[in-house]
Amino acid sequence: MNITFLLNGETVSTQAAPATATLLDWLRESRHLTGTKEGCNEGDCGACTVMVTDDQGTRALNACILLLPQLHGKALRTVEGLAENGVLHPVQKEMVDHHASQCGFCTPGFVIAMVTSHANGSTDHATALAGNLCRCTGYAPILRAAKAAEGQPIPGWLTIDRDYARTNSGATPSATVPEGQRPDASAEAAAALPGSSDALAALLLEQPDTTIIAGATDVGLWVTKKLRDLPRVAFLHRCRDLQQIEVSEESIRIGAAVTMDRVLTLMQKHHPSYASMIRRYGSAQVRAAATIGGNIANGSPIGDNPPALIALGATLHLRSGDVRRGMPIEAFFIDYGKQDRGPSEFVEAVTIPRQPDRLKCYKLSKRFDQDISAVCGCFNLTTKDSKIVEARIAFGGMAGTPKRATTLEQALIGQRWARETAEQAMSALDEDFAPLTDMRASATYRLDAARNMLLRYFLEDEAGLPAISEVRV
Amino acid sequence: MTEHFKMETPATERRLDDMAQGLVGAPLDRPEGPLKVTGTATYANEWQIEGMAHGVMVRAPGNSGRVILANRDDVAKLPGVLAVIQDDRLLRNPAQGTANEAPVQSPHHAAYLGQLIAVVVAETFEQARHAAQSLQVTLENAQMVQVDPATAAVEPQDGQALDQGDLDAAMRDAPHSVDLVYTTPSHSSAPMEPHASIASWQGGDLTLRGSYQMLKYNRNELADSLGIHPDRVRIISPYVGGGFGSKLGLAPEAVAAAIAAQELGRPVSVALQRPQVFEATMRRSETRQRVRLAADAEGRLTGLGHDARVSNLPGESFAEPVLQASHFLYAGANRRMSLELARLHRMCAGSVRAPGEAVGVTVLENAMDELAHEIGIDPVALRLRNIPEKDPESGKDYSSRRFREALESGAEAFGWADRPGVKERREGEWLIGYGMASAARVNVLMESQARVTLLPDGTARVETDMTDIGTGTYAILGQIAGDMLGLPRDRVEVVLGDTTLPPAAGSGGSWGASSSGTSVYLACEAIRRQLAQRLEVDEHDLTLKDGRATYANQVKSLSDILQGDEIAKLGHVKPGDTSTDVRQATFGAYFAEVAVHAASGETRIRRMHGSFAAGRILNAKTARSQCLGGMTFGIGIALTEELAFDPRDGHVANHNLAEYHIPVNADVPQLTVELLEERDDWANPMQAKGIGELGICGAAAAITNAIHNATGVRVRDYPATLDKVIAGM
Repeated sequence: MNITFLLNGETVSTQAAPATATLLDWLRESRHLTGTKEGCNEGDCGACTVMVTDDQGTRALNACILLLPQLHGKALRTVEGLAENGVLHPVQKEMVDHHASQCGFCTPGFVIAMVTSHANGSTDHATALAGNLCRCTGYAPILRAAKAAEGQPIPGWLTIDRDYARTNSGATPSATVPEGQRPDASAEAAAALPGSSDALAALLLEQPDTTIIAGATDVGLWVTKKLRDLPRVAFLHRCRDLQQIEVSEESIRIGAAVTMDRVLTLMQKHHPSYASMIRRYGSAQVRAAATIGGNIANGSPIGDNPPALIALGATLHLRSGDVRRGMPIEAFFIDYGKQDRGPSEFVEAVTIPRQPDRLKCYKLSKRFDQDISAVCGCFNLTTKDSKIVEARIAFGGMAGTPKRATTLEQALIGQRWARETAEQAMSALDEDFAPLTDMRASATYRLDAARNMLLRYFLEDEAGLPAISEVRV
Repeated sequence: MTEHFKMETPATERRLDDMAQGLVGAPLDRPEGPLKVTGTATYANEWQIEGMAHGVMVRAPGNSGRVILANRDDVAKLPGVLAVIQDDRLLRNPAQGTANEAPVQSPHHAAYLGQLIAVVVAETFEQARHAAQSLQVTLENAQMVQVDPATAAVEPQDGQALDQGDLDAAMRDAPHSVDLVYTTPSHSSAPMEPHASIASWQGGDLTLRGSYQMLKYNRNELADSLGIHPDRVRIISPYVGGGFGSKLGLAPEAVAAAIAAQELGRPVSVALQRPQVFEATMRRSETRQRVRLAADAEGRLTGLGHDARVSNLPGESFAEPVLQASHFLYAGANRRMSLELARLHRMCAGSVRAPGEAVGVTVLENAMDELAHEIGIDPVALRLRNIPEKDPESGKDYSSRRFREALESGAEAFGWADRPGVKERREGEWLIGYGMASAARVNVLMESQARVTLLPDGTARVETDMTDIGTGTYAILGQIAGDMLGLPRDRVEVVLGDTTLPPAAGSGGSWGASSSGTSVYLACEAIRRQLAQRLEVDEHDLTLKDGRATYANQVKSLSDILQGDEIAKLGHVKPGDTSTDVRQATFGAYFAEVAVHAASGETRIRRMHGSFAAGRILNAKTARSQCLGGMTFGIGIALTEELAFDPRDGHVANHNLAEYHIPVNADVPQLTVELLEERDDWANPMQAKGIGELGICGAAAAITNAIHNATGVRVRDYPATLDKVIAGM
C-alpha cells in the first residue's frame, strides 16, 4: 500500500509495509529510528509518543497503535527530528536541566508530548502528560521542565510540517490508493481508505466482513496483542463527513469519527461534568485518536462514554447502504460483547438533545488517570417546583453492558428532590444491578459506591457546586 | 598498577571536603542527558547488527507437567522461521541478584504459568511472533500444585530468627501494646524498558548486548548457564531503561538469544513483550506480617516482635528479608522475630527495589502509628523516644545516624504541628489527614574496581563495568574523578557498562554509587600520588584545580607535568571490618497529607515530604531524584500497586501497564526532599552511603497512616484501594 507522509521533514512512502503495520514497528525496524520506544505496545505507557500534524492541527499520538495508512498525507515528527541545526528543542534542554530524564526510556515519549503542547501553546501539562508513565522521576521534574519551556521559541520545522499537512492531508489520496477501492494486492490486508460515508456504505454493502478502523486505539490492540489477522480493513479518517459536529437549537450531532479530544472541547461548553470525565478517559494521545463512534461500536461494558450519553438521552444513528435508523443509545447494547449492529451497518453519528445542563458524571478508579473505572455513574435529573419530573441515570462497570438504572429512576420520579429521597431511593439500585467482583472492585463496593454517587449528586446540587467534581484536590 | 584498599577502619580524613574543584555534592546535570532527550542513547534492543534474526519466547500455559511442543515441526516450516528451540539450558526463571551462577534451567517442565519454555527464531520479528503464537504448547501429567501462600507448606528461615528476652511477658505486662497482622501483595519492578538481549558469536566468544544491572555477576551467570568459561563472554549494557531489581540477575531472554545465535550462526535478538516481563522476570513476594509492640506508659518500647511469611518457587533460596530493619531501627529489650518461606508455583520472587525494607519498614511503621494512637502520644514523639543508643540486638554502635534530626527537621518542614485529630478535618466532601513514618535501609559496601586514566592532554577517562540504570552513575563518577584530579566535569569521560572494563559492584542494594565511587576515588588518589612524585612534593600539599597543579607557590598545568605520558591506575575496594564492627544504615522520615473522599473512598495525596540522611551526597540532583522516585514507589505501594494472582492457577492476571497500576503523574503531588548533611567515616573513604532505595523504605506507611488520621480507617491489607477505605468508613 502506497502511503506517503512527511517524516522529520523528509517525504517518505511505505510501499512494502502491510496495511496493519504499526508506525512503531515501521519506525524501529524499517527506518532504524529507535528513539521512539516500545514500553507496552498497547497505548498504556506513552513511550512511543509521536507528533502528527494534519490540516486539523498538531497532536501527540501513540505510535504502537497507529497504523501506517492513518498517516497518509500528514506530517510526522519523532524525537530524532526535534533538534534544529544541532540545537536542542527548548523542551529537550529543559528536560536535561531539570534532571527530568533518568533511565531515559520514557523520555522520548514525554519529550514529544511536551513538544506538542509547546507547539500548541498549551500549559496544562498534567493533562497533556497523563498518558506518559515514568518509573524513575516521580514526574515533578518533568512537569517543572514543561513549565520552564513555556513561551520559548517554536522551531521553524513546525511551519514545514503544517504547510505539508495543509497541502496534503485533505488532498485526494495518491494514485495507487483510489478512493473507496481496495489498493494493490501487494498488501497483506486489503485496505480501503474511503473518502466519504457514502463510499464507506457502498464498500460495507459489498464487503460486510470489513473491519472498520477509526482511531485504532482498540483495533490496534487486536493487531499487536491478539495478533489477529484482519483480512479486510477500512480506514475512516478520510471520511470528512463523519467528522462533523453540528449544534442546532434542538440537538448536538456528533459524527462517528469525531475524536474524543474534540468531544471534550465540545462538552466543556454544554456539559462540563462530562468534559471533566473525558479528561480522565484514556490519555491525550488516546483521545486524539479514539473516536466517539468507535467507542460506542465496540460496546465495552466499562466504557465511560456510553453512560454519559445514555443519561443525556442521546440517539444513535446507524446506516447500512442507504438505510438509516436511529435508536436510544441504551438500546444498542444488547448483552456483553453484543450490540445491535447488523452486517454492513456502521455508526454514523450520535445526537444529544439540547437541554439545560443537569448532568454529573462520576468516574471512580484506583488511579487518577489512565485507569478503567470500577464504577462510572452519570446522573441527569430534571426538577420542577422541587419535584423530580424526569430522571436519566446510567452506569458503567455495574453490568455486562452500559446500563440505565430504571428502577432507581422510577423511585425518584415524582418525589421531592431532597436528601431523604436520595437516601430512600438508593436501595433501588440493588434491583437494577448485580455487579461482579473483580480486580478493580468488589461487588459490594460497586453497589455502595453507586448508591453514594446519588447522595453526592444531591449534595453537590444542593450546594450549587460546579459540575466539575472530579478535579484533583 | 592497582590501588587495593580494604575498608578496615573508619576513614576520618575527609579528603573530598578539601578538594578545590568543588564538584562532589554539586547538583550537576547527567552528561548523557542530551543523548536521552534526543533518542540517541542506545538501549539493548536498538543495536543494528548485520544479519540479525529475531526470537520470540513462548510461555507455558500451566504451572506443572512436562512441556510438549505439539506442532513443533509445522511451526518450523512457517515462512521465515529459522528454528524452534527448547534447549536444556533455557532458564526456568532469572538468576537472583549477585547469584553469580546459573539459576534453575528446566524448559521441559513447567513450574509456573507464564514460564518461558522455548524460543522461536525467524528472519523478522513479525514472523517470529506469528510462529510463536502458532506453537501449541501442552503439558503432560499436569497436576494440581500449590499456588496459595496462605496454605502452602513453609520452611522456617532460621538464619533470620531471633528470640531475645521474653516478648510474651513484655506483651502481657505492658500498659500499652498492639498485636496486628498486615498483608502486602506482590509487586513488579515494572521498569519502562522491557528486558531484551542481542547475542552474537565470534567463534567461541559470545557478545551479549543486554539490559542488566550487575554485569560482573551477569557474565558469570551467562557463562555458567551456557557451560562455557566466563572469559568467553562479554556483556555490553551502556544504557539501561530502568531496573529496580528486575535486571539484577540474568533473565531468560539472554540465554535464549545466546543459544539461538550459536545454533544459527548469526546474531539473534530476543526482546520480552510487556506481559512476559510481568510474568517471567521477578516479583516482590507478597508478605503476611505480624507485628507486636509493647510499651510503657511513656511510650518506651519494652517489646518488639515481627514475624513474616513470604513465598517463592521450589528451589529458590531468596526469601524477602522483611525483618532487615526491624532488627535495628527501634529499642525494646524483649524481641522476637521470625521469617518463613512458603513454597508455591507462582513466578519467581526476588529483589524488587529495596527488598525487605520496602514492605517490612512500611508495616512496622503502621504498627508504630497504631501504638502511638493507642498510647495517645504524637507519632513523631513515639519514634524519638525509641531511638536506641546502640544496636538493640548486637550492642554495636551505629556508624552515622541522623535519624532524630530527620524526624525533627522533617516535621518542621512539613508543618506536622498542625496535624489534625483523627477525623477532625474536613473540606467539603474531602476528609483531610496527616501521617508520618520513619525510613531506614541497611548500608552495604561491595567489592568494586575502576580504572582511571589521566591523559597527556589533561583530560581523564574513568572505565568500569558499572551500570547507570537511571541513577546517575555517569554523573557522579565524573564528579569524583574531576574533584580528585582537579578537572572540570567536561574534561572527564566516563565509560560504563562493558565487561571488558574493570568489574564493579553493579547497580543494586543501594551500594552502586558508594562502592564504584570509592574505586574511582582510590584510583585518583594513586594518580595524585604519582603527580606529586613527579613534582617532588607531598601529595597532600598538592592542590589540583581546572587542570592545574598548585604546590609550593608554583602553578603547573597537568599536561606540563605529564610531558606526554598518561597515568592509569586501577582502584579496587573491598569491604572490611567496618562492615561488621558497627551497624551501618541510612535513615529518614516521611510526612504525607492526604484527602479521602467521604462518599467514594478515593484517596488523593496532597503533598509529601521526605528528610533523609545518607552520608555525603555525591550529587544533590541525582540523589534527590532517587528519593523522589522512591517516594513515588511508596505511593504505588500505598494506593495502587498489586500483582493479582489467579487463585486457581497462580498466573498473573494483570500483566500489563494498564492494569498493574504504577502511579501516573496525577497520583503524585509535588514532592519535597531534604537531604541532611552527614559524613559516615565507617562507610568508605568518601563518607557516602547508599540512597537509591531509602526513599521507598516506609514511605507507604506515611500515606496509610494519613488515611487513618483522615478517616479513622486502618487498612492493613495493601494497597489501600478505595473499596477497602470506604468499607471502614
